[in-house]
Amino acid sequence: MTAWINGQAVVRDEAVAAAAALLAGARSPVFAGLCAETAAVQAAFDLARVIGASLDPVAGSSLYADLGALASGGAMTTTPAEARGRADLVLALGAAPWASDIVTELAAEGPVRGRAAGRSRTLLALGGGGDGAVQHIAYPAGEAGLAAAIGLLRGLVAGRIAGPHPLADLAARLREALYGVVLYDPAEIGALGAEMLNGLVKDLNETTRCFALPLGDPYQGRAVAQVAAWSTGQGPRVGYGRGHPEHDPWRFDAERQAAAGEVDAALWLASLPAPLPTWIRTVPTVALLGEPKGDEARVVIGVGVPGEALGAALWHPRRAAIAWQEPRQEPRQEPQQDPQREPGSPLPGISPAAAILAELQARLAASPAPHPERASC
Amino acid sequence: MLTRIAGGRVIDPTASRDAIGDVWVEDGRVVAPSDRAPDRTIDAAGCVVMAGGVEVHSHIAGGNVVLARLLLPELGVSEPDAPNPHGSGRDVGMLYARMGYTTAVEPAMPPVNALATQLELAEIPLLDRGGLCVMGNDDHLLQLLRDRAGANAVRDLVALNVATSRALGVKVINAGGADAFKDGAVRFSLDDEVPAYGLTSRTILNGLLDAVEALKVPHPLHVHCSNLGLPGADDSLIETLAAAEGRRIHFAHAQFYAYAAVDKDNPLTGGFASAAPRIAEALSRHPNATLDIGQVVFGQTATISLDILRQFSGRKAASPRKWIVNAGDAEGGGIVPFRYRDRGPTSSLQFAIGLELMLLSPDPERTILTTDHPNGGPFTAYPRILHLLMDKEARDRELAAHPKVAAERSSLSGLEREYTLTEVAQLTRSGPAKLLGLTDRGHLRPGARADIAVYRDQPDRTAMFSRAHRVLKDGAVIVEDGEIVAWARGRTLSLSVEADAGMARRTDAYLQGRFGAGLSSFTVPDAAFPGRDVFEAVSCRT
Repeated sequence: MTAWINGQAVVRDEAVAAAAALLAGARSPVFAGLCAETAAVQAAFDLARVIGASLDPVAGSSLYADLGALASGGAMTTTPAEARGRADLVLALGAAPWASDIVTELAAEGPVRGRAAGRSRTLLALGGGGDGAVQHIAYPAGEAGLAAAIGLLRGLVAGRIAGPHPLADLAARLREALYGVVLYDPAEIGALGAEMLNGLVKDLNETTRCFALPLGDPYQGRAVAQVAAWSTGQGPRVGYGRGHPEHDPWRFDAERQAAAGEVDAALWLASLPAPLPTWIRTVPTVALLGEPKGDEARVVIGVGVPGEALGAALWHPRRAAIAWQEPRQEPRQEPQQDPQREPGSPLPGISPAAAILAELQARLAASPAPHPERASC
Repeated sequence: MLTRIAGGRVIDPTASRDAIGDVWVEDGRVVAPSDRAPDRTIDAAGCVVMAGGVEVHSHIAGGNVVLARLLLPELGVSEPDAPNPHGSGRDVGMLYARMGYTTAVEPAMPPVNALATQLELAEIPLLDRGGLCVMGNDDHLLQLLRDRAGANAVRDLVALNVATSRALGVKVINAGGADAFKDGAVRFSLDDEVPAYGLTSRTILNGLLDAVEALKVPHPLHVHCSNLGLPGADDSLIETLAAAEGRRIHFAHAQFYAYAAVDKDNPLTGGFASAAPRIAEALSRHPNATLDIGQVVFGQTATISLDILRQFSGRKAASPRKWIVNAGDAEGGGIVPFRYRDRGPTSSLQFAIGLELMLLSPDPERTILTTDHPNGGPFTAYPRILHLLMDKEARDRELAAHPKVAAERSSLSGLEREYTLTEVAQLTRSGPAKLLGLTDRGHLRPGARADIAVYRDQPDRTAMFSRAHRVLKDGAVIVEDGEIVAWARGRTLSLSVEADAGMARRTDAYLQGRFGAGLSSFTVPDAAFPGRDVFEAVSCRT
């Protein structure tokens, strides 16, 4: 069984009908999570447009720390592969980079492309650092915190701070590097920290090359931002309540909307693992889950896990791009491939989230008038 | 269903047709006049009937278009009933369709970001779409050239990239310039070396020109030259044209290169004057060359380019004062917001030069109308630009409203030419279709795809071309009286090109080493578009 209503297993079609009824009765629905393959996220945006829902990815807060800084000042960035290939200096900000694989990978080799090729690679840490497994030079962030330290560093690099300073040596190293890379987690340094970092990097490029490299969130947020941009002209969060897309990161925060009683139904999309919000228990919700238990929400429908049960376009952290991921599981009972099956298409019996959402859209388009009574399923 | 578009003034330059008559349509194609009674008649009396418009160079999808929206949320904002050319793909499709355009090509699809670009293109409704695969700064290609791996290896790598990204053609953007920028360069010309490879921009360009010819790609190599927008950039274009040595070549947004340095000894400080006559003259001597304009129009826009060296150099002109340079895996991209001021001497002269290029054109089929959307301004300015080309009086009034330098440093005020409807069709239909090698569009002869625009013939050409009376896509009416009536989804055109298995293996190993992901990660399979049949194959030249 892969579908449930009120925790009771039902056939899939019954759950889809109940989901359609729940959404059809809603006056202010929110689609949240959006931790899924691009096709499913796209289908969610399409359905949201039709029924006037707002959309908020689970990655919303950390994503917006970066998007907010980007929209206020711009950025100079690079990719993980370019950092591996070209950087002679890597500065890791805070604690988050040390929890990712990228620091270890960067420490393992030196630059091989561009003018720094053949040099050694220096690893520096500001306001964080590893357990000693990776050799690096650590600089303290100071009592004012990481964001303030980035601001001080920018002042030092630009020559605006006179006299000796604990970060003066770090500033000198950044200026002397041929290709510097600054690793950071937007969620950790915040919008203000990201904005100062972007300013620091831009200043450095007056005389050398240095680029920021944000660590992606683990919830497909950077792919969702792209789908949002081409579907609405804006980054997330977005609402279609008035017919046309409106971008408002505060207003369409699902957590805030649920707490304020502004939503009367929700669709939680997570074909990949994502932490469930607490409001899923109180707001009538349809949950499309890759790993369902059945009692997570009013209506639960199991969907194929992208990259395992079906081929999918997913955010690829090492490439920092939307990339094709072939399914991992091939059918064991099927020694020979079905010649009718497209490569990368879902295995028999698997419901991709995009197909469920398309079915919901077809059902809702067939009975577009809101009908509150039908919401009680 | 047999349809007769009856009694309109039918314009088809490919058949020397400009007369009142009918166009017959059946099964999505134009057919010969029929004796049978039509199932449907579209009254085109008082109207002009042309093939659907074809766009060759408009930034409508891809990572940089996305970044521009994220950098400038205020520019892409949606208002009720006011689609925005900087907004969603849906708005873009709607605005093109209303103007009678039915095909549009995104010219900058980096192979490393092909899947996202193709996903985005597929979300532009009402049009057929295509993307050009960008090469010329990627380490793999530069390695092959540096190691003198031979023309066949370069050809095979180009073929593999086109096939993997499902592109319609190949583009090169300031060959080697992005790589040079990453190594600190801020100036870069045709004979400058990419520092880490010891290759000149010319060598890279040559390799790609040969590969495109060897593969018989219908669309010639689409070239964004070095030194865009600088006084003296006309030298770059003319040198690049000479470097093509007779091979087919397309110059993107030529207006941005038609700037002759006023002071040859101090080109960057002495200002510029129009080089449009020089470029038009060169074009008339080189039948192998085509260009699109990159017409400037006034107002706020965002410049979007994979020429990150140029975008970095232009950062201090950003308005508002925020910009992005993403030094990506090959080119990356740069977004610099810009406001073309209608009372500004520079913007006004740029505006004049674009019109001058078209009015001096030796062959409108080879000087295609674009604004390099959104770089010169939004594509929604086409109706006004056509109006100015067709009406000398309107042009004079427009020019009089701008600073005198626009008239003094260009020959625009002396040009008497007024474009005919046939020339408009060459500029926006038959020319771009021929350039892309799409033999089934850009004309109305039997067999043509029934992508057809019907305009009310009216003296106000801006109004006429802004909102078509009827638009047919594949024979179905999608626009009535300037409004969308059916949301056709269109197809994405991709070139059928065989990739060499040996090169695929080599590339897979190369990509694994550099990205930790093999060739399959870079593919654009049909399964990425579940429930849809997105792609349509286009054949190579025979």
